[in-house]
Amino acid sequence: MASPTPRHPKARSRRVVRLTDLAGRWGFMSPAAVLLVATLAYPIFYTIRISFSELDLSTFSPGEWVGWDNYIDVLRDDRFWNALRVTGVYLALALPLQMVLGFGIAFLVNAEWRGRGAVRALFLIPMVVAPIVAGGVWRMMLDPLWGLANALIGLVGLGPIDWLGDPAWAMATIVIVDTWRWTPFVTLIATAALLALPGDVFEAAEIDGANWWTKFWFITLPLLVPVIAATFIVRWLGAVKMFDIALAATNGGPGRATNVINLFIYEEAFRSLNFAGAAAMAVIVLVGTMLLTAVFLRGSRMLEERH
Amino acid sequence: MSGASALGVRARHRRRRLLGHRLRVGGGVFTCALFLFPVFWMVLTSFKQPKDIFTTPPTFFFTPTIETYVSYMGRADVLHRMLNTVIVAAGAGAVSLVAGAMAGYALARVPLRGAATIGAVIMLSRGVPPIALAVPMFLVARKLGLLDRHITLILAYCTFLIPYVMWLMRGFFKALPEELEEAAKLDGCSRFGAFFRIIVPISLPGLLSTLIFSVILAWEELLFALVLTNRVATTIPVAIAGIAGDSVNGANWGALTAVGTLTVVPVVAFALLVQKWLIKGLADGATKG
Amino acid sequence: MTHEPRNRRLLSRRGVVAAGLSALPVLALPATPRAQTASGGGLGTAAAPVEIRMIANEAFANQWQANMVPEFNKSFPHVRVKIDGVPYPELLAKSLLDSTGANPTYDIIVADDPWVPQLAQAGALLDLKADAKAWTAPDFDWEDFNAAPLAASAWRGKQYGVPLRSNMLLMFTNKTLYKKAGLPAPTPKLTWTEYLAQAPKLVQDTNGDGKVDAWAIDTYFTRDSLTPTIWQAILNSNGGALLDKDNKPAFNTPTGVAALQTHIDLLKYAPPGAKSHGFNESLQAFRQGQTATMFMWGSVFKATAVDPKTTTLKPDEVGIQVMPVGSKLPGTHRGIWNGTVAKKSAHPQAAWALLQWLSSKQGELWHANVLGAFPARKSTLATPPESAWLVPVYAALQQAYDAADAGQMWRPRSPKSDAVQQVLADETSRAMSGEASAADALASAAQKIGRMRL
Repeated sequence: MASPTPRHPKARSRRVVRLTDLAGRWGFMSPAAVLLVATLAYPIFYTIRISFSELDLSTFSPGEWVGWDNYIDVLRDDRFWNALRVTGVYLALALPLQMVLGFGIAFLVNAEWRGRGAVRALFLIPMVVAPIVAGGVWRMMLDPLWGLANALIGLVGLGPIDWLGDPAWAMATIVIVDTWRWTPFVTLIATAALLALPGDVFEAAEIDGANWWTKFWFITLPLLVPVIAATFIVRWLGAVKMFDIALAATNGGPGRATNVINLFIYEEAFRSLNFAGAAAMAVIVLVGTMLLTAVFLRGSRMLEERH
Repeated sequence: MSGASALGVRARHRRRRLLGHRLRVGGGVFTCALFLFPVFWMVLTSFKQPKDIFTTPPTFFFTPTIETYVSYMGRADVLHRMLNTVIVAAGAGAVSLVAGAMAGYALARVPLRGAATIGAVIMLSRGVPPIALAVPMFLVARKLGLLDRHITLILAYCTFLIPYVMWLMRGFFKALPEELEEAAKLDGCSRFGAFFRIIVPISLPGLLSTLIFSVILAWEELLFALVLTNRVATTIPVAIAGIAGDSVNGANWGALTAVGTLTVVPVVAFALLVQKWLIKGLADGATKG
Repeated sequence: MTHEPRNRRLLSRRGVVAAGLSALPVLALPATPRAQTASGGGLGTAAAPVEIRMIANEAFANQWQANMVPEFNKSFPHVRVKIDGVPYPELLAKSLLDSTGANPTYDIIVADDPWVPQLAQAGALLDLKADAKAWTAPDFDWEDFNAAPLAASAWRGKQYGVPLRSNMLLMFTNKTLYKKAGLPAPTPKLTWTEYLAQAPKLVQDTNGDGKVDAWAIDTYFTRDSLTPTIWQAILNSNGGALLDKDNKPAFNTPTGVAALQTHIDLLKYAPPGAKSHGFNESLQAFRQGQTATMFMWGSVFKATAVDPKTTTLKPDEVGIQVMPVGSKLPGTHRGIWNGTVAKKSAHPQAAWALLQWLSSKQGELWHANVLGAFPARKSTLATPPESAWLVPVYAALQQAYDAADAGQMWRPRSPKSDAVQQVLADETSRAMSGEASAADALASAAQKIGRMRL
């Protein structure tokens, strides 16, 4: 400890201590903040700048200022609105499904037995398989010509289903593959959360003669609210950016049935070389995502406080 | 209530609970098998010759070949890329873990005006579509002469890993009793001292679990790796994308599934090793999110 | 721990912030182009070899690095060549991004058929007949190239490249399935009318178990930028065109709608699930002997008819020819990989030397015989190939080149070619899945493409 030198008046030394303390506190926040500012500030500024310009492809620098033109073009494009709609449908189907499945499976997987550890670790694999390979393997299994899926559901008298060629089923396919891939993430957090539930509360409830539904609705669920909220936000931020699965499994088709917004932005930028339009869409999506995330953060805080 | 009937009720309860337990175990194993079936199909395909892959009906019995593995492992660049992937994933995981955990600690425990706002902004920054970031990041990296370097990919991955780590670790630190730091302060520790000497060792399982998730996300990242690297620092997902996009002969699904299988092995081995810590860490970190 | 080190750490952290922030405006400045190397950078000497780098499709980058470069170095020992493979979907964007720098990484860009206008418009490419004239070998025979493949690297009267790997959309036929259906094996004279009349008979039960197990056709039906090339080939063979002379949409006509409708109607004779089939799936179905015909890129022939590891078919049961004849011409579609030199390359002479060598009469012959790349030169196509199975392939290629040249059977020659193709893919897929009629889809595509100011 460096002790203040006796010559200094006490007040000044206290100020020094306070300042160093403040600096120390900021020291925790600043590495992350500095790293993110250094890596993100210019790219975000560039994207916003490009979205108001005509991009000069020979330098990739913003050319002539065109005001809101790129935004108007984007808003006039029915493909953009379609992509937003498709993304909305996908999120509305996939997120609740993954949350419910994730927590349900966590309950099953948490049963204590010898193989529990292995089961939990193996459950990670779907997350690790590269999206291109995952999409391709699912295509192999779902193809009506040589796939297993129709052979299996045929055994119980269903199908055949054109999983990838029918617009509604293609959306279902995307939701299924995405759920297969990301439910393990929810499960892992949920397993941990369920493990951490205080056992004494349940014993007390059992003595009071509570049935499992009462226990679930009045004890388990309220205790899980913060975790559910946090998992939901992390998954939401990941899902809203999904495009690799759609690219690999259906390439956005048939028609535009699975062309989620990030896939459309990718196509506009990297295929059609319409970087300015893609930037305008990215800004719109950024603002929309930020607004919804803020709503979710606020909502989760309110839920946390209520319980 | 007579003693005998009470005993009977308890026995019935125990039987029912045992049945419930068995159903849970069975259900868990069944669900796991269901989720792993595509993985099984991937591994099976990797041992097939190309002409055995797309048969009607699909074949379970065929003459297995490890030729694909041999020929792809023999290609120098697969091993080189694997090494790059390890470096980049480990580096990005480590950097974002340190920076993210400290930020998470600041949000959870350090009285700091404005920190909550910064934390919210960091979370909101995850809304940027990654495609929008790739091109400007390329331009910056080129300007700084950092193209095709490991450090560039590590920094690029930090943009999405740090918010994630911060969010998880915030919850984890909130769950710790506050007396820990007070005791540390009484012992004359500075904030940093308390954090590194007391909080970090206690939070090791949580930190490790977060590290694993970060490593998985960095491990499979494709877009930034494609744009920011050429030859020196290029990663395995880029190789996989290349095999998938073979526009000359048609995608080689044997090779694709073989390389896909190879990339899964190290991560699963890693996860198996630390999964006890992982579950424990997540349990503590997630409850008080 | 003391207070003092903490202060110092804080200072250094502030320094980092300041440095980071002050770097931002610098980053925003456009790059200043370096003066063009007038000498061309030479061909290197034993003491001072030159190094050139090449960006190419991952599909053949490895093969080139391992086999082509050593062969090239027999003639040019002091030029070191490094080839970086990039997955096809990102190759154009990455080439374009790289070429915008003051010191681009790549000296040679290997560009797909529709990319040359896009790269040339951005000022990325060297005009080979003007800027590289001094370094062109006197015996380099431009006239020997077939017109169609050479035109793939020309734009607005300038020649930016040479064809390195040529490919054409052709019709593959399974002669065994034709025989089982009691039909004669098709010839290049086969018309669309005849083909469509035969198609129902090619949907058949080959093993007599009462279930259909072979179909007439599989090809691109899925949402893919190459799917529109199928109905474009039909449109072209009937004398239609995608765009007119002013690059305005010319496909929204009864001929265009009929062409797309024919493509959609092929689904009736295709295997279940063909709606989502494209390059890989149609290839697999054909290789398993499940489809009698396939419209596909010629380059897959070896893995489809010859290599026993990848196919169940034998060379003598697989036919290859141009797509059926319409009212004017047989159909095809061009797909050439072009070798181009980056305008800002420090070693354009060495880069052009490699491209010349590989596309020269001798180089192309070597490339075709040893690595199996399809040639673009009349002389190579007229030389009997070392492998016997290549004989019918060469005949089909030569016919396809002539048809493509006569009917302009290629994707739009415009800096916005890929954007046009993306719109066409989108609308084609909508029509294919039944979300829109062929006429509505083409009307919508014409409206979007008309707005693009090509």
